[in-house]
Amino acid sequence: MDNNHETTATKPEGLEQDELIIQQHREIEKEISDSILLIGQKEELTSLETEYINDPVYLTKIQDLNKKYKCMRRARPDGNCFFRSFAFAYFEYLMDHNEEYKHFKERALKSKDELISCGFTQFTLEDFHDTFMEVVNLIGEGQHEKLYDTFNMQGYSDYVVVYLRLITSGQLQKDAEFYKHFIEGDRTVVEFCHQEVEPMFKESDHIHIIALSTALNVGVRVRYMDRGESSEAIAHDFPEGSPVCVHLLYRPGHYDILYSR
Amino acid sequence: MNNIATQRIKREFKEVIKSEELAKCSIKVDLIGDSYTELKGEIAGPPDTPYEGGTFFLEIKVPETYPFNPPKVRFMTKIWHPNISSVTGAICLDILKDQWAAAMTLRTVLLSLQALMAAAEPDDPQDAVVAKQYKEYPEIFAKTASHWTNVYAGGPNKNSEFDTKIQRLIDMGIERDQARGALSTYNWDLERATEQLFS
Repeated sequence: MDNNHETTATKPEGLEQDELIIQQHREIEKEISDSILLIGQKEELTSLETEYINDPVYLTKIQDLNKKYKCMRRARPDGNCFFRSFAFAYFEYLMDHNEEYKHFKERALKSKDELISCGFTQFTLEDFHDTFMEVVNLIGEGQHEKLYDTFNMQGYSDYVVVYLRLITSGQLQKDAEFYKHFIEGDRTVVEFCHQEVEPMFKESDHIHIIALSTALNVGVRVRYMDRGESSEAIAHDFPEGSPVCVHLLYRPGHYDILYSR
Repeated sequence: MNNIATQRIKREFKEVIKSEELAKCSIKVDLIGDSYTELKGEIAGPPDTPYEGGTFFLEIKVPETYPFNPPKVRFMTKIWHPNISSVTGAICLDILKDQWAAAMTLRTVLLSLQALMAAAEPDDPQDAVVAKQYKEYPEIFAKTASHWTNVYAGGPNKNSEFDTKIQRLIDMGIERDQARGALSTYNWDLERATEQLFS
């Protein structure tokens, strides 16, 4: 009977399709992870030119960026690139800004209880928090190389990403009245957090950036490199008007780190 | 298995073990052997559902990439439910697919499955046959699910009418589980089940 039952209608076709798609995703992910570091070494902006050789719009924008930024680092395009780039760029910045580092560390320590009161399971949260703080403490040691290596260790790196996702989710939920207006589709802020913020590998949008930069009070400037008419990659600052300490490059679907001149 | 996954599972064990659901015997997780990659879950059928009184076992496989990817979970106990394959035990539940988050735990999974047993989502089915019955013949669905719970999960409700029909098919040389599956599929219409089995 098993066979008959299975072929008659146990699974609607869409579902097998789902599984195939998931499997294909995994394969693509693996290919990417085998070839691109979580956080790459610094490189010249002109290295982007090879990707857009026949594209005058992008080439003009790269030249403009090259005047404003001395180099970039690529992040692995795995859906976590905003969070990972943000964390690395900001931690690097904090290494050279001791006062701000102290403030951030206090803020990070306090975030644990705030998130637990937000309803996250205590022990998983503690787990992420402890690992996050381990990496935060590295900033105090001031060794850039060590920070870089840690961000390229999948475990540590992903724990940092998870924790930032939780902080983002916490901020969205805390200020749900405000953020609910920016959520597409018929869903609540909590649903949005469950579907688009907390799961790993889910890509980030403006709303993620606004929430995270607000939660940590860190100014982020994103340079948008797209097909728009302008000859420069337009900048957006989050939260608006705050002093910028993290610079990111956005190309459709992906974030990398920029270093200003 | 990498360290993160193992450490995490070890910590989760403590969590499930001390949780209050365990005290109420509603969920449980056991190790299989010494490795933390394969576990056995146990869920009590929720009250006021056709699954009440049954005990359902789950196969839980923990991937290397846990907790960043979800555990692979499947019912080992046969169950009649729109979101669970009556043949393979495969489960359709968002948090086991693209809505898994690393902050979730095995306890979250088991409680979500228990909630799914109490409130099926027939519009997002794993087993289309069961989902159709659930929507079109809710009473037959409830009786069938309760019967399966009795037979496979140790539930209390024996159904002698169903047993008689199954026996009729067994007398014709059909194997017992196969007979039950066919009758369940055809809303216990003996004639149609027979037709399908011998076609």
